[in-house]
Amino acid sequence: MIFHVNHKTYEVDLVGHETLLEVLRDKLGLTGTKTSCMESECGACTVMIGGKGILSCITLAANVAGEPITTIEGLADGENLHPVQQAFLDYGAAQCGFCIPGMIMASTALLTQNPHPTREEMEYALDGNICRCTGYLKIFEALREAGDKMSQLKAPRESALYQYIPAVSSTP
Amino acid sequence: MVQTINKDLVNPVGKSVPKIDGKGIVTGQIKYVFDVSLPNMLVGKMLRSPHAHARILSIDTSKAEKLSGVKAIVTAKDTHLIKFGSNEYFFPHTVDQLPLEDEKVRYIGDEIGAVAAVDEETAEEALKLIDIKYEVLPAVFDMEEAMKPGAPAIHEAMNNIAVILPVNFGNVDRAFKESDYIREDIFRTQPAAHCSMEPHVCVGQWETFSNKVTLWSSSQAPFKCREALAKCLKMDLNDVRVIKLAVGGGFGSKLEMMPMDFAACVLSHKSGGLPVKITYTREEEFSFSRRKHPMIYKIKSGIKKDGTIMAITGEVIADGGAYCSYGPTVIAAAIMRIFMVYKIKNFRISGYRVYTNNPISGAIRGFGGVQSGFAIESHIDMLAKGIGMDPMEFRLRNATDPNMVTINKMYLTSNGLKECITKAAAAADWKNKYSKMRNQCRGIGIAVAADVMGSKMYKSHESAGSIVKVEEDGSVYLFTGAADTGQGANTALSQIAAQELGVSYSRIRCKSGDTEITPFDTGSFASRVTFISGNATKRAATDAKKQILNVVAEEYKLNPEDLDIIAERVIHKKDSSVLLNFDKALDLCYSFNYGRQIIGRGSYNPKTTPVDFRTAEGNVSGSYGFEAQIAEVEVDKETGHVRIIKMWDAHDIGKAINPQGVIGQIEGSIAMGIGYSLYEDLKFKNGRVVNANFANYRLPKAIGMPEIETILIETIDPEGPFGAKGMGEASLLPTSAAIANAIEDAVGIRVKELPMTPDKILKALKEKEQTTPQTATESQQ
Amino acid sequence: MLLNPLTFHAPKTVEEAIELYSTLGEVRLLAGGTFLLNSLKLLKKRGIKTPQHVISLRKISVLQGVKVTGDTLTIGAMTVINDLFSSPHLTDNFAILRTVCRNISTNPIRNMATVGGNLTSRYTWTEMGAPLIALEAVMHFCGTNHTTESITVEDFFKNFAKTEKILTHITIRRDPAAALAYQRVKKLSDVDVPLLAVCIRTHFNDGCFTRTRASINCTTSFAKRDLVLEEFLNGKKTANGIAQEALAHLDTSIYDTRSDDYKKSMFRISIKKAIEDLTRRGQT
Repeated sequence: MIFHVNHKTYEVDLVGHETLLEVLRDKLGLTGTKTSCMESECGACTVMIGGKGILSCITLAANVAGEPITTIEGLADGENLHPVQQAFLDYGAAQCGFCIPGMIMASTALLTQNPHPTREEMEYALDGNICRCTGYLKIFEALREAGDKMSQLKAPRESALYQYIPAVSSTP
Repeated sequence: MVQTINKDLVNPVGKSVPKIDGKGIVTGQIKYVFDVSLPNMLVGKMLRSPHAHARILSIDTSKAEKLSGVKAIVTAKDTHLIKFGSNEYFFPHTVDQLPLEDEKVRYIGDEIGAVAAVDEETAEEALKLIDIKYEVLPAVFDMEEAMKPGAPAIHEAMNNIAVILPVNFGNVDRAFKESDYIREDIFRTQPAAHCSMEPHVCVGQWETFSNKVTLWSSSQAPFKCREALAKCLKMDLNDVRVIKLAVGGGFGSKLEMMPMDFAACVLSHKSGGLPVKITYTREEEFSFSRRKHPMIYKIKSGIKKDGTIMAITGEVIADGGAYCSYGPTVIAAAIMRIFMVYKIKNFRISGYRVYTNNPISGAIRGFGGVQSGFAIESHIDMLAKGIGMDPMEFRLRNATDPNMVTINKMYLTSNGLKECITKAAAAADWKNKYSKMRNQCRGIGIAVAADVMGSKMYKSHESAGSIVKVEEDGSVYLFTGAADTGQGANTALSQIAAQELGVSYSRIRCKSGDTEITPFDTGSFASRVTFISGNATKRAATDAKKQILNVVAEEYKLNPEDLDIIAERVIHKKDSSVLLNFDKALDLCYSFNYGRQIIGRGSYNPKTTPVDFRTAEGNVSGSYGFEAQIAEVEVDKETGHVRIIKMWDAHDIGKAINPQGVIGQIEGSIAMGIGYSLYEDLKFKNGRVVNANFANYRLPKAIGMPEIETILIETIDPEGPFGAKGMGEASLLPTSAAIANAIEDAVGIRVKELPMTPDKILKALKEKEQTTPQTATESQQ
Repeated sequence: MLLNPLTFHAPKTVEEAIELYSTLGEVRLLAGGTFLLNSLKLLKKRGIKTPQHVISLRKISVLQGVKVTGDTLTIGAMTVINDLFSSPHLTDNFAILRTVCRNISTNPIRNMATVGGNLTSRYTWTEMGAPLIALEAVMHFCGTNHTTESITVEDFFKNFAKTEKILTHITIRRDPAAALAYQRVKKLSDVDVPLLAVCIRTHFNDGCFTRTRASINCTTSFAKRDLVLEEFLNGKKTANGIAQEALAHLDTSIYDTRSDDYKKSMFRISIKKAIEDLTRRGQT
């Protein structure tokens, strides 16, 4: 089966019951994506599919074959860190770092849609990512900074959260 | 508090430089043991007891051995039957755990053996095929029941009391007679979990012919792990290599060698030297790693009308679970911390650390201080209320001073406790808020705490070692035995090395926690690293600098004593004139004529006195850190939900080596403290954890995190590196009491049992309504 | 491996899916996967046999999206919670769904979990049941040989959420005159575990409650209506104090079964708050 991860195409011999988490870590060697619970409670396995943060531990790999998948390894542009990565570094938003790949993916998904989230919007966007070290406050600070950077990089969208309409809107 | 990083990396001490391993973290490139995969690596699984208390009659592994894919099975008969423990030096009788038990199991999950197989499925299948015959013994799960005569004997200890710690000073009976107000309270705290995001994980490899063991372990104390491993394997220290990579959090849970560490090595040996990886699942992490000691804290105090504390007595019982682990230190710390905080002359509290058939209680951030902090600081508030005194003023009146000796002979040198209290109170607008917001169901509460930086309770010494090696191109290696577990030790130590050596932080690369390469260090616990490993690192950098300056002095025919390196330049001390820059100085060191390698070494063992555990006298730490914390809360009287509006934390950290890192530690501690205060609760039924997952054991999440205002008090400690003290645990100690006190201020109820869940709050509110007429509560303010 | 071996199917049409669903034995439908994957892992861990086939509905585009035609809101069964939340169509009586969506689990789950999965997972505590009963929503299923079936959400849960067909979409009639109140209590502050939910829909006629639907999820059994409460409210003036009075007219079998004191208190507070909320609106 074909997987598109971080703009690279991988052909993976799939037995059918691997989760995306297992394919990324064990078959593609992309160990940046972590897991702390393997049961969708911690958010450490968050990756982006179609601009949304999803949990790779409860995603059947076969189900997302062919879809564009972004992991923590795919965020930086060559040597340059993604604004979210840079802000996490600058604002001391990472301590042990084990939750950070998932946290950064969830943050990037939020800021791509809504570069200027309110504190409440940040809390709701990150409520599925557990961090035991930081108490989240420095993560919020990093998001503020990263959002500013990201909106400078491209024209800001007005209230993007509410503008977002599902790609397929036909109904039965 | 927003603290962005500083881009100027010269003279880095006191600056928020970026985390030294930060880029690896934010890109996912940094490697944890969780990520380690070696060729032909086997999967190991632990064989655990299903019974809380049973005698092992027989173990038959023959069926499992025949299963295809199984490479090794080990049980106690493959071991030397040598016990390990955490407080061997002071409490030899608490060395009570075998890496793999042979005769008896004492809790559900007790390790009996382990299996290595080609994959997880096979390993698990093999576990099921191992036939063990048990004689099930009566078990005891309640700590008070366990102490009663006739309770099942879990070890040899009389009445299951593993450690008795009587602490007795002055004359409490006389002091009570002289008191104007006396009250007695009982507090209870819950078992709780560390929940480091990276579970316990290790890879063991035993090179069978060279007889050399390598263990990659997610550890806070690789040298302590090595010590236990070498002891149990009957090997020399230099034949056992423990390597720590990036560690995904520990919070005390990764301070010991675990049976899995031992098992991975022995399995590797038995499978002919193949590497064996054992990874805890989250369920195992919750059920079979370590947990916080639940405690019953009985405390009775007498005070004068003017607020002077006259006497404190009490009793502390801690449910230690099946083995001792760090229990002795936990019970000692739960009793003795109070001497750092308050001037106390008459004191009598006895501590009992009790065996039960519950999982093992051990070290956890705060070392007993979270439990005692809740009890004592809640009790102190009630004492103040009893004489109608402002609890903030009450604390100021009794707080310890700088340069004093406590009744148990602790030497408090730098001490910013009073400044912490006044600054926190000022920042929180205490005077205008305390007892004045009840009509909005809002309240404000204060609690104070102090902490050691290191604790000479585990070994005869508590030294740390560092090596600063300067390469030909002027780049610098720092080798330290200290274990960065995410708190930023590598960063802070690199800052110290750079500052002392006189170079930019950007020159430093840090290698930590590899017992074969780095010098010895007892590990990351007791907030000791900045203070102890920091001093060792500073000494190593001083040594390296001296070596460089000797070469320069020789070349320029000057006295090396007159030279220094500051901000990348070698200067004359007299007039600060620049002689040459650092790179040129290094060129000289490695030049044709000199060829001198610059290898600075430093070792530091804090000036302490041993604690005599019969009297509790002794100066356990080289310095002490202090803090005051204030919580403002709002209680929903209908639902019992507590909303924390804001927290203030004033912390005497001596000197902030990295302010951003310090604030990060404080914020993280408070978040953890909020969890322990309001909802975290590891629940048991007959010795089995019933909420062993994040769905049912809830951790603080992004939603509802309050604003935290941090005030750093820099008292510049005379002994600390650049005046710094250790920190990282103290901020967790007062949180529960600050919140409990704020709840009391808001709605007039006192919760004495953690966690303070909505149902308990609602129940207390109902009880209060029934006992006091409505008008009385409404008449406030 | 986290899962036992299984054969994965990804049909592109509902018909294909039905065909597979009815012919393969030991089969489970995969919507968002937030329930299914965890339950498959758990079964494996406990050594219990897991289904041989999994049919993913992800590639059936017709099952996705939210739209309005005339007076009817149609929610495709595979619409994920966050997409429903951000749909511009949630106006009038549909707007309550935004509050419901926002309170579901965590963000990554809201990105994955589907409305259909929430309704058909057969977990008693799921969030969509109570509000959709109050909204008189209808579930539409597709069976073999192109048969379709429509059933109200209320009846669906009365039948313990059992079905052997594939849920295709949910419809709700627009009702600009309806007033809705939704109360949800979490087990603890700051965390998301649901304890109970109350959703009351009513209309006001001459300052009186009329056509009231009170739907309750006690989380230990499926969401259902409190007919005693409805009967009490209908015809009553939207006067202050009615909320307190209503607490004496509840179907206690819903609230008291497997509830501790705290939960019982929370039920009363939630119902009171919901009625007070409606009373305020009825009075203006």
